[in-house]
Amino acid sequence: MSKKATRASKPKPDPDAEGSGKKSTASALKKVLFLSEKLLPKDADDQRLRLERFHHPGKGKEALFVTHPDGQMMELLEYAEPRRSWLLNSEVCSNGRIYMTSPVDPTLLALHHLRKHCAQRAMSLDNIAVNEASTSRLLNEFLEPESLKCVADVKSSGDQKFYKYNQERTLAWLALKTRLVAAILKEKQIHCGHSAQSQNFVRSEKLAAENASNEMDYTRMACDIVGRYLDADLYDLLTGYLHVPSEIQAIVEEKNAAQKRKSKAGKDEGSDSKKIKLNDSDAGARLKSSGILDSDGDLNASITSPTAGPLKERSLTAKEKALAKGAKGTKSIASFFKVK
Amino acid sequence: MSITLDFSGKNLAKSKSVNLHYLPAKIDGDGEANVEEYFNNYTREATDLVPEGYRGLVIQETEKPINESSDRQLRLTGVFEEFTYWNYDKVPSNGDTYRQALLLADVADALSKPISEQDLEAEIARNKENTKESP
Repeated sequence: MSKKATRASKPKPDPDAEGSGKKSTASALKKVLFLSEKLLPKDADDQRLRLERFHHPGKGKEALFVTHPDGQMMELLEYAEPRRSWLLNSEVCSNGRIYMTSPVDPTLLALHHLRKHCAQRAMSLDNIAVNEASTSRLLNEFLEPESLKCVADVKSSGDQKFYKYNQERTLAWLALKTRLVAAILKEKQIHCGHSAQSQNFVRSEKLAAENASNEMDYTRMACDIVGRYLDADLYDLLTGYLHVPSEIQAIVEEKNAAQKRKSKAGKDEGSDSKKIKLNDSDAGARLKSSGILDSDGDLNASITSPTAGPLKERSLTAKEKALAKGAKGTKSIASFFKVK
Repeated sequence: MSITLDFSGKNLAKSKSVNLHYLPAKIDGDGEANVEEYFNNYTREATDLVPEGYRGLVIQETEKPINESSDRQLRLTGVFEEFTYWNYDKVPSNGDTYRQALLLADVADALSKPISEQDLEAEIARNKENTKESP
């Protein structure tokens, strides 16, 4: 066996072991950052930007944010592909990530704390989470108290203001946010349907026409994007408020519609085209699960590509499809519990 | 623990421009290399600008933190306005994940826009109407 060993079966040579030793220091080396011009320090100003951790409701844990001494804050995102490196002048940098600041509304981050602490009673901001340094820093230094009017009832007594979480206002506010996002998705012609598509196809005029009927796809995608900053239960409330059907339902409905069309139009839209479509969506899911965007680093989330967004149910197993098909036409269980 | 981006406006104005190549390969190593000698930058086709509204910075952590809770400092080593984006086997296009990820910056912009109180009141009223209509 020893003579016959192929290259693949050979034990890895030493240099690799050295390599992994080096790797641990790599994260301490150079990083490439796209910093928003809004955060750039002015010429004369001697203050420093900071990276701070705050609770990120969408992730359920802390994430890094860039903060400006004047009270601005932005989220720090990380763009990563599995195989990327930088050459910086004559230097090699193995950290092939791009870090990027992205604007974020602190109200979205504060919402989590409001729901946790101010659901039953009104509280003043400096009384919420007094023993969590990062939370009270967020609420008192970065949050615009005015903006809380959108998600809470404000009661003032003298100089002090007290806030009580208001679900109705919050959902309306989130719905408006969702519409803003949906509008920009449409403007940028970001493809939001459930099947993956080649970029050339996305830019074609045919699709632009088709998009008109895909209002719900945009809303669903926008909802998912907003949902990345929400607690899971609040996200569910939001989809309910906006009447966004789950993706499984949508896929089944579209399929039925396509079948009807097919039976009408004869063999124009043969089953071949549909097969390709399905395969594409599988490929998208595989790509996603294989982690084209790995975020194993210590620094927060990666920017996922919009088409490989946060949709959870992209590919369906045969079983799920059958389930969804069976469920079609039956009453939703929720309909039995509605207030009459 | 706090992390400081340790540079002022003055540092930024004075810092040198860096020549960057974004390679489609994993290189297991860091540090100086004979890039001039072995890397042939034969095309300018792939030059990509830093997205609008952003400044490209190269930052570096000079000292590795001793433990998680110690303060850290990231220093500025250079700035850039453009870089060369390489793909393994195709010309960079809007289909690249990198380009698509950048679209998310616009989305984040829209998401962080404040909502006026009138709009909010209108939305609440509209929602009430809707729920009344379809009991």
